[in-house]
Amino acid sequence: MTTKQFDLPATTFGSYLRVLSTIALKDWKTYWRYPFNAVSSVFQPLIWLTPIFFLGKAFSQDGQALGFAAYSGSPDYMSFLILGAAISNFTSAVFWGMGFSIKNDMDTGVLESNWMTPVPRLLLLVGRTLNSLLITTITSIGMLIVATFVFGFHPTGDIWGAFLAILPMLFGLYGFGFAFAALVMIVREANTMVDMGNFLVDLLSGSQFPVQALPRWLYPLALSIPLTYGYDAIRGWLLQTTTILPIQLEMVLLVVFMIVMIVIGVNAFHALEKKVRTRGSLGQY
Amino acid sequence: MTIIPGLKQKPDTKFLYELRVIKAIFIKQWLHTIRYPSWVIQLIIWPLIFPAAYILTARAFAGPDQMALPLFLQASGTQNYIGFIVVGTMVWMWQNIVLWNVGYALREEQLRGTLESNWLSPSWRFSLLLGSIFNQMITVALFFAMTFLEYRFIFQVHFEGEFGLTLLALLAGMPSVYGIGIAFASLVIRVKEADSFVKLVRGMVMIFCGISYPLTILPGWMASISMWLPQTYIVRSVRQAALIGGGFQSIRHDLSILLLFGVFWMAAGFLAFNWMERQSRRSGVIGQY
Repeated sequence: MTTKQFDLPATTFGSYLRVLSTIALKDWKTYWRYPFNAVSSVFQPLIWLTPIFFLGKAFSQDGQALGFAAYSGSPDYMSFLILGAAISNFTSAVFWGMGFSIKNDMDTGVLESNWMTPVPRLLLLVGRTLNSLLITTITSIGMLIVATFVFGFHPTGDIWGAFLAILPMLFGLYGFGFAFAALVMIVREANTMVDMGNFLVDLLSGSQFPVQALPRWLYPLALSIPLTYGYDAIRGWLLQTTTILPIQLEMVLLVVFMIVMIVIGVNAFHALEKKVRTRGSLGQY
Repeated sequence: MTIIPGLKQKPDTKFLYELRVIKAIFIKQWLHTIRYPSWVIQLIIWPLIFPAAYILTARAFAGPDQMALPLFLQASGTQNYIGFIVVGTMVWMWQNIVLWNVGYALREEQLRGTLESNWLSPSWRFSLLLGSIFNQMITVALFFAMTFLEYRFIFQVHFEGEFGLTLLALLAGMPSVYGIGIAFASLVIRVKEADSFVKLVRGMVMIFCGISYPLTILPGWMASISMWLPQTYIVRSVRQAALIGGGFQSIRHDLSILLLFGVFWMAAGFLAFNWMERQSRRSGVIGQY
Protein backbone atom coordinates (compact mmCIF):
# COMPACT_ATOMS: atom_id res chain seq x y z
CA MET A 1 0.00 0.00 0.00
CA THR A 2 1.35 3.37 -0.90
CA THR A 3 0.83 6.30 1.37
CA LYS A 4 0.44 9.69 -0.11
CA GLN A 5 2.12 12.47 1.74
CA PHE A 6 0.48 15.85 1.82
CA ASP A 7 2.50 18.98 2.47
CA LEU A 8 1.18 22.34 3.39
CA PRO A 9 1.68 24.74 0.49
CA ALA A 10 4.65 27.03 0.90
CA THR A 11 3.86 30.42 2.32
CA THR A 12 4.49 33.09 -0.24
CA PHE A 13 3.67 36.74 -0.63
CA GLY A 14 0.68 35.65 -2.72
CA SER A 15 -0.59 33.34 0.03
CA TYR A 16 -0.30 36.17 2.54
CA LEU A 17 -2.37 38.37 0.27
CA ARG A 18 -4.98 35.59 0.02
CA VAL A 19 -5.10 35.41 3.82
CA LEU A 20 -5.64 39.17 4.06
CA SER A 21 -8.39 39.15 1.45
CA THR A 22 -10.11 36.13 3.06
CA ILE A 23 -10.20 37.79 6.47
CA ALA A 24 -11.38 41.09 4.98
CA LEU A 25 -14.11 39.32 2.96
CA LYS A 26 -15.32 37.43 6.03
CA ASP A 27 -15.50 40.67 8.07
CA TRP A 28 -17.20 42.47 5.17
CA LYS A 29 -19.95 39.82 5.05
CA THR A 30 -20.41 39.92 8.80
CA TYR A 31 -20.63 43.72 8.84
CA TRP A 32 -23.26 43.98 6.10
CA ARG A 33 -25.35 41.29 7.78
CA TYR A 34 -26.44 44.19 10.04
CA PRO A 35 -26.85 47.10 7.57
CA PHE A 36 -28.37 49.43 10.16
CA ASN A 37 -24.87 49.61 11.67
CA ALA A 38 -23.67 51.44 8.56
CA VAL A 39 -26.47 54.01 8.81
CA SER A 40 -25.64 54.42 12.48
CA SER A 41 -21.92 54.93 11.66
CA VAL A 42 -22.80 57.80 9.33
CA PHE A 43 -25.13 59.57 11.74
CA GLN A 44 -23.54 58.88 15.15
CA PRO A 45 -20.63 61.34 14.70
CA LEU A 46 -23.12 63.97 13.54
CA ILE A 47 -25.28 63.39 16.61
CA TRP A 48 -22.21 63.90 18.82
CA LEU A 49 -21.26 67.06 16.91
CA THR A 50 -24.68 68.73 17.14
CA PRO A 51 -24.46 69.82 20.81
CA ILE A 52 -21.01 71.26 20.08
CA PHE A 53 -22.38 73.12 17.06
CA PHE A 54 -24.92 74.85 19.31
CA LEU A 55 -22.39 75.32 22.10
CA GLY A 56 -20.21 77.17 19.59
CA LYS A 57 -23.17 79.35 18.65
CA ALA A 58 -23.62 80.31 22.32
CA PHE A 59 -20.06 81.69 22.26
CA SER A 60 -20.39 83.39 18.86
CA GLN A 61 -21.40 86.84 17.71
CA ASP A 62 -22.80 87.35 14.20
CA GLY A 63 -21.80 83.75 13.40
CA GLN A 64 -18.13 84.38 14.30
CA ALA A 65 -16.51 82.24 17.02
CA LEU A 66 -13.77 84.71 17.79
CA GLY A 67 -12.61 83.02 20.99
CA PHE A 68 -12.11 79.78 19.08
CA ALA A 69 -10.37 81.61 16.24
CA ALA A 70 -7.87 83.08 18.69
CA TYR A 71 -6.67 79.54 19.48
CA SER A 72 -7.05 77.81 16.12
CA GLY A 73 -6.51 80.61 13.63
CA SER A 74 -9.89 79.91 12.00
CA PRO A 75 -13.42 80.86 13.09
CA ASP A 76 -14.83 77.93 11.07
CA TYR A 77 -15.17 75.62 14.05
CA MET A 78 -17.52 73.19 12.33
CA SER A 79 -14.99 72.29 9.62
CA PHE A 80 -12.46 71.83 12.45
CA LEU A 81 -14.85 69.50 14.31
CA ILE A 82 -16.07 67.55 11.28
CA LEU A 83 -12.52 66.84 10.14
CA GLY A 84 -11.64 65.78 13.70
CA ALA A 85 -14.59 63.36 13.74
CA ALA A 86 -13.54 61.83 10.38
CA ILE A 87 -9.92 61.34 11.55
CA SER A 88 -11.18 59.93 14.82
CA ASN A 89 -13.16 57.27 12.89
CA PHE A 90 -9.95 56.08 11.23
CA THR A 91 -7.83 56.11 14.38
CA SER A 92 -10.48 54.08 16.22
CA ALA A 93 -10.62 51.55 13.38
CA VAL A 94 -6.87 50.85 13.64
CA PHE A 95 -6.08 51.83 17.21
CA TRP A 96 -8.72 49.69 18.92
CA GLY A 97 -9.88 47.40 16.11
CA MET A 98 -7.09 44.90 16.56
CA GLY A 99 -7.63 44.60 20.31
CA PHE A 100 -11.34 44.05 19.80
CA SER A 101 -10.75 41.46 17.10
CA ILE A 102 -8.66 39.38 19.52
CA LYS A 103 -11.34 39.74 22.16
CA ASN A 104 -14.06 38.68 19.71
CA ASP A 105 -12.06 35.65 18.58
CA MET A 106 -11.46 34.69 22.22
CA ASP A 107 -15.17 35.01 23.02
CA THR A 108 -16.27 33.01 19.99
CA GLY A 109 -13.60 30.38 20.64
CA VAL A 110 -11.80 30.61 17.28
CA LEU A 111 -8.58 32.30 18.35
CA GLU A 112 -6.62 29.12 19.00
CA SER A 113 -7.69 27.43 15.75
CA ASN A 114 -6.88 30.57 13.72
CA TRP A 115 -3.48 30.78 15.34
CA MET A 116 -2.77 27.17 14.42
CA THR A 117 -2.68 28.17 10.74
CA PRO A 118 0.79 28.72 9.20
CA VAL A 119 0.28 32.48 8.96
CA PRO A 120 2.13 35.18 10.94
CA ARG A 121 -0.15 36.31 13.75
CA LEU A 122 0.52 39.96 13.08
CA LEU A 123 -0.80 39.39 9.56
CA LEU A 124 -4.04 38.04 11.03
CA LEU A 125 -4.33 41.23 13.07
CA VAL A 126 -3.63 43.46 10.07
CA GLY A 127 -6.24 41.53 8.11
CA ARG A 128 -8.85 42.36 10.71
CA THR A 129 -8.27 46.08 10.17
CA LEU A 130 -8.64 46.05 6.37
CA ASN A 131 -12.39 45.69 6.34
CA SER A 132 -12.84 48.24 9.13
CA LEU A 133 -10.67 50.73 7.22
CA LEU A 134 -12.75 50.21 4.07
CA ILE A 135 -16.03 50.51 5.99
CA THR A 136 -14.70 53.58 7.81
CA THR A 137 -13.79 55.18 4.49
CA ILE A 138 -17.30 54.56 3.12
CA THR A 139 -19.12 55.75 6.24
CA SER A 140 -16.80 58.76 6.70
CA ILE A 141 -17.47 59.90 3.13
CA GLY A 142 -21.19 59.54 3.88
CA MET A 143 -20.73 61.52 7.08
CA LEU A 144 -18.79 64.29 5.29
CA ILE A 145 -21.50 64.59 2.63
CA VAL A 146 -24.31 64.83 5.20
CA ALA A 147 -22.23 67.17 7.39
CA THR A 148 -21.58 69.45 4.43
CA PHE A 149 -25.32 69.89 3.91
CA VAL A 150 -26.23 70.18 7.59
CA PHE A 151 -23.35 72.21 9.05
CA GLY A 152 -21.12 73.22 6.14
CA PHE A 153 -17.64 71.81 5.60
CA HIS A 154 -15.09 74.06 3.91
CA PRO A 155 -11.67 72.50 3.29
CA THR A 156 -9.63 75.24 1.61
CA GLY A 157 -6.11 73.85 1.85
CA ASP A 158 -3.91 71.13 0.37
CA ILE A 159 -5.59 67.72 0.31
CA TRP A 160 -2.37 65.89 -0.70
CA GLY A 161 -0.46 67.40 2.21
CA ALA A 162 -3.21 66.14 4.52
CA PHE A 163 -2.99 62.69 2.93
CA LEU A 164 0.79 62.63 3.53
CA ALA A 165 0.16 63.40 7.20
CA ILE A 166 -2.47 60.65 7.54
CA LEU A 167 -0.17 57.88 6.27
CA PRO A 168 2.55 57.95 8.97
CA MET A 169 -0.14 58.52 11.60
CA LEU A 170 -2.09 55.42 10.55
CA PHE A 171 1.04 53.23 10.26
CA GLY A 172 2.17 54.42 13.69
CA LEU A 173 -1.25 53.48 15.01
CA TYR A 174 -0.76 49.95 13.74
CA GLY A 175 2.24 49.74 16.07
CA PHE A 176 0.14 50.88 18.99
CA GLY A 177 -2.63 48.50 17.91
CA PHE A 178 -0.24 45.51 18.04
CA ALA A 179 0.81 46.40 21.59
CA PHE A 180 -2.77 46.98 22.66
CA ALA A 181 -3.93 43.69 21.13
CA ALA A 182 -1.22 41.91 23.12
CA LEU A 183 -2.45 43.61 26.28
CA VAL A 184 -5.97 42.36 25.57
CA MET A 185 -4.62 38.80 25.49
CA ILE A 186 -3.34 39.30 29.03
CA VAL A 187 -6.19 41.35 30.52
CA ARG A 188 -8.99 39.64 28.53
CA GLU A 189 -11.87 41.74 29.94
CA ALA A 190 -10.84 44.83 28.03
CA ASN A 191 -14.09 46.64 27.27
CA THR A 192 -13.76 49.21 30.05
CA MET A 193 -10.11 49.80 29.20
CA VAL A 194 -10.92 50.24 25.50
CA ASP A 195 -13.89 52.57 26.01
CA MET A 196 -12.21 54.90 28.46
CA GLY A 197 -8.80 54.76 26.77
CA ASN A 198 -10.30 55.60 23.40
CA PHE A 199 -12.30 58.49 24.80
CA LEU A 200 -9.39 59.96 26.78
CA VAL A 201 -6.78 59.71 24.02
CA ASP A 202 -9.21 61.18 21.50
CA LEU A 203 -10.09 63.99 23.87
CA LEU A 204 -6.55 64.94 24.83
CA SER A 205 -5.17 64.77 21.32
CA GLY A 206 -7.58 67.48 20.23
CA SER A 207 -10.18 65.66 18.17
CA GLN A 208 -12.77 68.33 18.98
CA PHE A 209 -10.86 71.44 20.07
CA PRO A 210 -7.41 73.01 19.64
CA VAL A 211 -5.17 71.60 22.37
CA GLN A 212 -3.77 75.08 22.96
CA ALA A 213 -6.99 75.68 24.94
CA LEU A 214 -6.18 72.96 27.49
CA PRO A 215 -5.27 73.98 31.04
CA ARG A 216 -1.51 74.29 31.56
CA TRP A 217 -1.25 71.05 33.53
CA LEU A 218 -2.93 69.05 30.75
CA TYR A 219 -1.14 70.64 27.80
CA PRO A 220 2.15 68.67 28.21
CA LEU A 221 0.12 65.46 28.32
CA ALA A 222 -1.51 66.36 24.99
CA LEU A 223 1.88 67.16 23.48
CA SER A 224 3.19 63.74 24.52
CA ILE A 225 0.53 61.93 22.45
CA PRO A 226 1.66 61.36 18.82
CA LEU A 227 -1.93 61.60 17.61
CA THR A 228 -2.00 65.27 18.62
CA TYR A 229 0.46 66.12 15.84
CA GLY A 230 -1.53 64.02 13.37
CA TYR A 231 -4.77 65.91 14.05
CA ASP A 232 -2.90 69.21 14.07
CA ALA A 233 -0.96 68.64 10.83
CA ILE A 234 -3.98 67.33 8.89
CA ARG A 235 -6.01 70.37 9.94
CA GLY A 236 -3.06 72.63 9.19
CA TRP A 237 -2.87 71.27 5.62
CA LEU A 238 -6.57 71.05 4.91
CA LEU A 239 -8.06 73.97 6.87
CA GLN A 240 -4.97 76.15 7.19
CA THR A 241 -5.32 76.39 10.96
CA THR A 242 -2.50 77.57 13.21
CA THR A 243 -0.36 74.53 14.08
CA ILE A 244 1.38 73.87 17.40
CA LEU A 245 4.79 73.44 15.73
CA PRO A 246 5.86 74.32 12.17
CA ILE A 247 3.97 71.86 9.96
CA GLN A 248 7.14 70.36 8.38
CA LEU A 249 8.46 69.60 11.85
CA GLU A 250 5.16 67.92 12.75
CA MET A 251 5.48 65.74 9.63
CA VAL A 252 8.98 64.67 10.70
CA LEU A 253 7.70 63.92 14.19
CA LEU A 254 4.91 61.77 12.74
CA VAL A 255 7.42 59.70 10.74
CA VAL A 256 9.63 59.26 13.83
CA PHE A 257 6.63 58.23 15.93
CA MET A 258 5.59 55.81 13.19
CA ILE A 259 8.94 53.98 13.27
CA VAL A 260 9.16 53.97 17.07
CA MET A 261 5.57 52.78 17.55
CA ILE A 262 5.89 49.95 15.02
CA VAL A 263 9.12 48.67 16.62
CA ILE A 264 7.65 48.87 20.14
CA GLY A 265 4.32 47.37 19.05
CA VAL A 266 5.78 44.38 17.21
CA ASN A 267 8.18 43.57 20.06
CA ALA A 268 5.50 43.96 22.72
CA PHE A 269 3.17 41.68 20.77
CA HIS A 270 5.77 38.93 20.36
CA ALA A 271 6.80 39.11 24.03
CA LEU A 272 3.24 38.93 25.35
CA GLU A 273 2.22 36.31 22.80
CA LYS A 274 5.04 34.08 24.06
CA LYS A 275 3.85 34.67 27.60
CA VAL A 276 0.23 33.59 26.99
CA ARG A 277 1.37 30.55 25.03
CA THR A 278 3.70 29.55 27.88
CA ARG A 279 0.94 30.04 30.44
CA GLY A 280 -1.60 28.27 28.25
CA SER A 281 -4.15 30.99 28.79
CA LEU A 282 -4.79 31.79 25.15
CA GLY A 283 -8.15 30.07 24.91
CA GLN A 284 -9.44 31.33 28.25
CA TYR A 285 -11.84 34.22 28.47
CA MET B 1 -50.60 18.85 52.46
CA THR B 2 -46.89 18.24 52.07
CA ILE B 3 -44.63 20.91 53.46
CA ILE B 4 -41.18 20.90 51.92
CA PRO B 5 -38.63 21.55 54.70
CA GLY B 6 -36.85 24.86 54.38
CA LEU B 7 -39.40 26.29 51.96
CA LYS B 8 -41.07 29.32 53.48
CA GLN B 9 -44.80 29.67 53.25
CA LYS B 10 -46.12 32.28 50.87
CA PRO B 11 -46.74 35.55 52.69
CA ASP B 12 -50.33 36.37 53.54
CA THR B 13 -50.73 39.08 50.97
CA LYS B 14 -49.89 39.24 47.30
CA PHE B 15 -48.20 42.59 47.92
CA LEU B 16 -45.74 41.17 50.47
CA TYR B 17 -45.08 38.25 48.19
CA GLU B 18 -44.18 40.57 45.29
CA LEU B 19 -41.94 42.59 47.59
CA ARG B 20 -40.00 39.41 48.30
CA VAL B 21 -39.64 38.76 44.58
CA ILE B 22 -38.40 42.31 43.99
CA LYS B 23 -35.94 41.94 46.88
CA ALA B 24 -34.61 38.63 45.53
CA ILE B 25 -34.06 40.11 42.06
CA PHE B 26 -32.47 43.20 43.58
CA ILE B 27 -29.99 41.10 45.59
CA LYS B 28 -29.19 38.91 42.57
CA GLN B 29 -28.54 41.97 40.39
CA TRP B 30 -26.46 43.62 43.09
CA LEU B 31 -24.29 40.50 43.37
CA HIS B 32 -23.81 40.61 39.60
CA THR B 33 -22.81 44.26 39.82
CA ILE B 34 -20.19 43.86 42.52
CA ARG B 35 -18.87 40.62 41.00
CA TYR B 36 -17.30 42.68 38.16
CA PRO B 37 -15.43 45.49 39.94
CA SER B 38 -14.58 47.38 36.74
CA TRP B 39 -17.85 49.29 37.33
CA VAL B 40 -16.13 51.08 40.24
CA ILE B 41 -13.50 52.45 37.85
CA GLN B 42 -16.25 53.51 35.47
CA LEU B 43 -18.14 55.13 38.33
CA ILE B 44 -15.12 57.27 39.14
CA ILE B 45 -13.82 58.04 35.66
CA TRP B 46 -16.87 58.58 33.43
CA PRO B 47 -18.49 61.40 35.48
CA LEU B 48 -15.14 63.15 35.14
CA ILE B 49 -14.23 62.64 31.51
CA PHE B 50 -17.56 62.73 29.71
CA PRO B 51 -18.52 66.28 30.79
CA ALA B 52 -14.84 67.24 30.36
CA ALA B 53 -15.16 66.74 26.59
CA TYR B 54 -17.76 69.52 26.43
CA ILE B 55 -16.17 71.65 29.14
CA LEU B 56 -12.80 71.73 27.38
CA THR B 57 -14.52 72.52 24.08
CA ALA B 58 -16.41 75.36 25.78
CA ARG B 59 -13.08 76.57 27.14
CA ALA B 60 -11.75 76.69 23.57
CA PHE B 61 -14.86 78.59 22.43
CA ALA B 62 -14.43 81.07 25.28
CA GLY B 63 -10.97 81.89 23.93
CA PRO B 64 -7.87 83.25 25.68
CA ASP B 65 -8.78 85.21 28.84
CA GLN B 66 -12.34 83.92 28.34
CA MET B 67 -13.01 86.77 25.92
CA ALA B 68 -16.24 85.22 24.57
CA LEU B 69 -17.71 84.31 27.96
CA PRO B 70 -20.03 87.39 28.08
CA LEU B 71 -21.75 85.99 24.96
CA PHE B 72 -22.46 82.73 26.77
CA LEU B 73 -23.78 84.66 29.77
CA GLN B 74 -26.11 86.57 27.48
CA ALA B 75 -27.43 83.34 25.92
CA SER B 76 -27.67 81.18 29.04
CA GLY B 77 -28.06 83.51 32.03
CA THR B 78 -24.98 82.11 33.79
CA GLN B 79 -21.23 82.40 33.48
CA ASN B 80 -20.76 79.05 35.18
CA TYR B 81 -20.42 77.06 31.96
CA ILE B 82 -18.79 74.15 33.78
CA GLY B 83 -21.74 73.64 36.12
CA PHE B 84 -24.11 74.25 33.20
CA ILE B 85 -22.51 71.43 31.18
CA VAL B 86 -22.08 69.08 34.15
CA VAL B 87 -25.83 69.14 34.85
CA GLY B 88 -26.77 68.62 31.19
CA THR B 89 -24.36 65.77 30.56
CA MET B 90 -25.30 64.14 33.87
CA VAL B 91 -28.95 63.91 32.79
CA TRP B 92 -27.86 62.52 29.41
CA MET B 93 -25.71 59.87 31.11
CA TRP B 94 -28.60 58.99 33.42
CA GLN B 95 -30.91 58.27 30.48
CA ASN B 96 -28.10 56.44 28.69
CA ILE B 97 -27.41 54.17 31.69
CA VAL B 98 -31.12 53.43 32.11
CA LEU B 99 -31.50 52.54 28.44
CA TRP B 100 -28.58 50.12 28.56
CA ASN B 101 -29.13 48.63 32.02
CA VAL B 102 -32.91 48.58 32.46
CA GLY B 103 -33.50 48.24 28.73
CA TYR B 104 -31.31 45.17 28.51
CA ALA B 105 -32.19 43.62 31.92
CA LEU B 106 -34.73 41.18 30.45
CA ARG B 107 -32.63 40.65 27.33
CA GLU B 108 -29.72 39.47 29.48
CA GLU B 109 -32.00 36.91 31.13
CA GLN B 110 -33.07 35.85 27.65
CA LEU B 111 -29.44 35.41 26.55
CA ARG B 112 -28.58 33.43 29.69
CA GLY B 113 -31.58 31.22 29.08
CA THR B 114 -33.19 32.03 32.44
CA LEU B 115 -36.04 34.28 31.29
CA GLU B 116 -38.49 31.44 30.61
CA SER B 117 -37.85 29.70 33.93
CA ASN B 118 -38.18 32.98 35.84
CA TRP B 119 -41.41 33.79 34.07
CA LEU B 120 -42.82 30.38 34.96
CA SER B 121 -42.62 31.28 38.66
CA PRO B 122 -45.97 32.31 40.17
CA SER B 123 -44.97 35.95 40.52
CA TRP B 124 -46.04 39.11 38.77
CA ARG B 125 -43.65 39.42 35.80
CA PHE B 126 -43.36 43.16 36.19
CA SER B 127 -41.74 42.54 39.61
CA LEU B 128 -38.83 40.86 37.85
CA LEU B 129 -38.12 44.10 36.00
CA LEU B 130 -38.74 46.28 39.07
CA GLY B 131 -36.02 44.43 40.98
CA SER B 132 -33.51 45.35 38.29
CA ILE B 133 -34.70 48.96 38.29
CA PHE B 134 -34.16 49.36 42.05
CA ASN B 135 -30.65 47.96 41.77
CA GLN B 136 -29.96 50.33 38.91
CA MET B 137 -31.25 53.29 40.97
CA ILE B 138 -28.56 52.64 43.58
CA THR B 139 -25.87 52.74 40.88
CA VAL B 140 -27.25 55.99 39.48
CA ALA B 141 -27.43 57.56 42.95
CA LEU B 142 -23.74 56.70 43.46
CA PHE B 143 -23.01 58.10 40.03
CA PHE B 144 -24.71 61.43 40.83
CA ALA B 145 -22.92 61.65 44.17
CA MET B 146 -19.56 60.98 42.50
CA THR B 147 -20.22 63.63 39.84
CA PHE B 148 -21.07 66.21 42.48
CA LEU B 149 -18.06 65.38 44.68
CA GLU B 150 -15.57 65.38 41.80
CA TYR B 151 -16.67 68.67 40.31
CA ARG B 152 -17.22 70.36 43.66
CA PHE B 153 -13.95 69.41 45.31
CA ILE B 154 -11.52 68.71 42.46
CA PHE B 155 -12.66 71.42 40.07
CA GLN B 156 -14.09 73.82 42.65
CA VAL B 157 -17.38 74.21 40.79
CA HIS B 158 -19.92 76.07 42.90
CA PHE B 159 -23.43 74.71 42.84
CA GLU B 160 -25.01 77.79 44.35
CA GLY B 161 -28.61 76.65 44.29
CA GLU B 162 -30.56 74.53 46.75
CA PHE B 163 -29.81 70.86 47.32
CA GLY B 164 -33.38 69.93 48.32
CA LEU B 165 -34.86 71.50 45.21
CA THR B 166 -32.26 69.79 43.02
CA LEU B 167 -33.24 66.47 44.54
CA LEU B 168 -36.91 67.27 43.99
CA ALA B 169 -36.28 68.04 40.30
CA LEU B 170 -34.41 64.74 39.88
CA LEU B 171 -37.21 62.84 41.64
CA ALA B 172 -39.79 64.48 39.38
CA GLY B 173 -37.80 63.34 36.36
CA MET B 174 -37.47 59.72 37.53
CA PRO B 175 -40.85 58.37 36.32
CA SER B 176 -40.18 59.63 32.80
CA VAL B 177 -36.60 58.32 32.62
CA TYR B 178 -37.52 54.89 33.97
CA GLY B 179 -40.83 54.74 32.07
CA ILE B 180 -38.85 55.13 28.85
CA GLY B 181 -36.46 52.42 30.11
CA ILE B 182 -39.36 50.00 30.78
CA ALA B 183 -40.93 50.66 27.38
CA PHE B 184 -37.53 50.10 25.86
CA ALA B 185 -36.97 46.83 27.76
CA SER B 186 -40.23 45.56 26.28
CA LEU B 187 -39.13 46.53 22.79
CA VAL B 188 -35.76 44.81 23.22
CA ILE B 189 -37.41 41.49 24.09
CA ARG B 190 -39.22 41.62 20.75
CA VAL B 191 -36.54 43.00 18.43
CA LYS B 192 -33.52 41.43 20.26
CA GLU B 193 -30.59 43.50 18.99
CA ALA B 194 -31.56 47.08 19.75
CA ASP B 195 -28.23 48.91 20.05
CA SER B 196 -29.22 51.23 17.24
CA PHE B 197 -32.45 52.14 19.06
CA VAL B 198 -30.47 53.07 22.18
CA LYS B 199 -28.28 55.30 20.05
CA LEU B 200 -31.36 56.85 18.45
CA VAL B 201 -33.08 57.67 21.77
CA ARG B 202 -29.96 59.01 23.47
CA GLY B 203 -29.13 60.88 20.24
CA MET B 204 -32.50 62.65 20.45
CA VAL B 205 -31.68 63.71 24.01
CA MET B 206 -28.23 64.85 22.94
CA ILE B 207 -29.49 66.93 20.00
CA PHE B 208 -32.68 68.48 21.36
CA CYS B 209 -32.47 68.73 25.14
CA GLY B 210 -29.73 71.32 25.57
CA ILE B 211 -27.25 69.15 27.43
CA SER B 212 -24.37 71.49 26.60
CA TYR B 213 -26.03 74.64 25.25
CA PRO B 214 -28.85 77.00 26.22
CA LEU B 215 -32.19 76.20 24.52
CA THR B 216 -32.52 79.83 23.38
CA ILE B 217 -29.92 79.03 20.70
CA LEU B 218 -32.11 76.41 19.01
CA PRO B 219 -34.00 77.26 15.82
CA GLY B 220 -37.81 77.35 16.22
CA TRP B 221 -38.60 73.91 14.83
CA MET B 222 -35.98 72.24 17.03
CA ALA B 223 -37.17 74.15 20.09
CA SER B 224 -40.71 72.84 19.40
CA ILE B 225 -39.44 69.24 19.37
CA SER B 226 -37.42 69.77 22.55
CA MET B 227 -40.62 70.76 24.39
CA TRP B 228 -41.96 67.22 23.85
CA LEU B 229 -38.99 65.54 25.52
CA PRO B 230 -39.06 65.21 29.34
CA GLN B 231 -35.26 65.39 29.56
CA THR B 232 -35.46 69.03 28.43
CA TYR B 233 -37.42 69.88 31.59
CA ILE B 234 -35.17 67.76 33.82
CA VAL B 235 -32.05 69.55 32.53
CA ARG B 236 -33.67 72.98 32.82
CA SER B 237 -35.13 72.48 36.30
CA VAL B 238 -31.98 70.86 37.74
CA ARG B 239 -29.85 73.69 36.31
CA GLN B 240 -32.19 76.26 37.84
CA ALA B 241 -32.26 74.49 41.20
CA ALA B 242 -28.56 73.58 41.45
CA LEU B 243 -26.86 76.55 39.81
CA ILE B 244 -29.14 79.57 40.04
CA GLY B 245 -31.63 79.02 42.86
CA GLY B 246 -34.79 81.13 42.95
CA GLY B 247 -36.90 78.82 45.10
CA PHE B 248 -39.68 76.39 44.35
CA GLN B 249 -41.62 78.89 42.25
CA SER B 250 -38.84 79.06 39.68
CA ILE B 251 -39.14 75.35 38.84
CA ARG B 252 -42.80 74.73 39.67
CA HIS B 253 -43.91 74.85 36.03
CA ASP B 254 -41.19 72.42 34.91
CA LEU B 255 -42.00 70.04 37.78
CA SER B 256 -45.70 69.98 36.83
CA ILE B 257 -44.85 69.12 33.24
CA LEU B 258 -42.40 66.46 34.39
CA LEU B 259 -45.07 64.81 36.51
CA LEU B 260 -47.43 64.71 33.51
CA PHE B 261 -44.67 63.20 31.38
CA GLY B 262 -43.97 60.75 34.21
CA VAL B 263 -47.58 59.52 34.28
CA PHE B 264 -47.56 59.15 30.50
CA TRP B 265 -44.26 57.27 30.25
CA MET B 266 -44.94 54.99 33.21
CA ALA B 267 -48.31 54.06 31.69
CA ALA B 268 -46.69 53.63 28.27
CA GLY B 269 -43.95 51.46 29.79
CA PHE B 270 -46.43 49.30 31.69
CA LEU B 271 -48.71 48.84 28.68
CA ALA B 272 -45.75 48.05 26.41
CA PHE B 273 -44.55 45.46 28.93
CA ASN B 274 -47.95 43.75 29.09
CA TRP B 275 -48.30 43.83 25.32
CA MET B 276 -44.83 42.38 24.84
CA GLU B 277 -45.52 39.64 27.39
CA ARG B 278 -48.71 38.57 25.62
CA GLN B 279 -47.19 38.75 22.16
CA SER B 280 -44.07 36.83 23.14
CA ARG B 281 -46.04 34.01 24.74
CA ARG B 282 -48.38 33.75 21.77
CA SER B 283 -45.61 33.66 19.23
CA GLY B 284 -43.38 31.50 21.41
CA VAL B 285 -40.32 33.72 20.95
CA ILE B 286 -39.64 34.40 24.61
CA GLY B 287 -36.78 31.92 24.79
CA GLN B 288 -35.32 32.69 21.39
CA TYR B 289 -32.27 34.85 21.03
